[in-house]
Amino acid sequence: MAKTGIEVEGTVVECLRDAKFKVELANGHHVLAHISGKIRRNYIRILPFDRVLVEVNPYDLNRGRILFRYRN
Amino acid sequence: MSALDSLVLTRVSERCWHAVGDDRVIGRGEVSPRPDGRSFLSIDVWRDDVFERLAATMLPELPRPLYTVVDEADADLTSRWRDVGFSVRRREWECLVPTAAARPSGIAVIAPEEEPLTELDRVVRAEVDWQEMPAELLGPGVVDPSLYSVAVRDGRYAGLIRVTHVNRLPRIGLIAVRADSRRRGVGRALLGHALGSLHERGITVASAELNESNTAAVALFDGFGARRVGSNLELVLR
Repeated sequence: MAKTGIEVEGTVVECLRDAKFKVELANGHHVLAHISGKIRRNYIRILPFDRVLVEVNPYDLNRGRILFRYRN
Repeated sequence: MSALDSLVLTRVSERCWHAVGDDRVIGRGEVSPRPDGRSFLSIDVWRDDVFERLAATMLPELPRPLYTVVDEADADLTSRWRDVGFSVRRREWECLVPTAAARPSGIAVIAPEEEPLTELDRVVRAEVDWQEMPAELLGPGVVDPSLYSVAVRDGRYAGLIRVTHVNRLPRIGLIAVRADSRRRGVGRALLGHALGSLHERGITVASAELNESNTAAVALFDGFGARRVGSNLELVLR
């Protein structure tokens, strides 16, 4: 079975202008993340301080995709 | 050999496709039906060149029309969908509207009772284009009176407003007035009441999405000082 990306919990620290978000992961690392199509399709709004699940880009560990927003 | 050379595209379920390169899922496409019958697509990739390959695999297998949603600020993603044939169907402004103490409107706005609220909800759904309703309201779900306020005119519910996420960033998810009660200040009374209630709770701003073509809604929110902070595009492939 093909591998999927690494999924890590994090907290949104900043909403950037170009539909991207700066997310601090549990280990303190920051990634630049965009939202997944599923979140976009469902009009789920991401705000600073939201706890999110991020899939880290296997080609660039500084980038990722927000897969899920937890209820705070 | 690069991951793209060895790319394998597979429909892994009725609604999901994977693009696998170097034994890793580097692209994922999904189709999701909405209760109004429309199918919405999404494609997530780790490499730009995989998007087109996934789209080329998925699109011939799906009935038209197909829809997707993009943040207009995401120029790259918007461009990718355009490149595979999608065009803009409508634009929705994301707005922030400041709260303020409610001013008397002459129209009573109250907390609703469930039965007449459900009846008003049914009337509203019959009068508006379902495709213009917020996504979370498309299903025939139970109406939760705690999220609504209603305007009363001539002894019956004439309009409703739905406010959610009050403890986060309050969202005015729906404001609707019966067709025979429009242009009488009902919408203004409902919005003023909702913003006034939030203001009383110390909340300074609420959010809303406005269909660009709904000039009455845009004018109403502009009148309350709404500020556009972003936009979403609904794209269609016919």
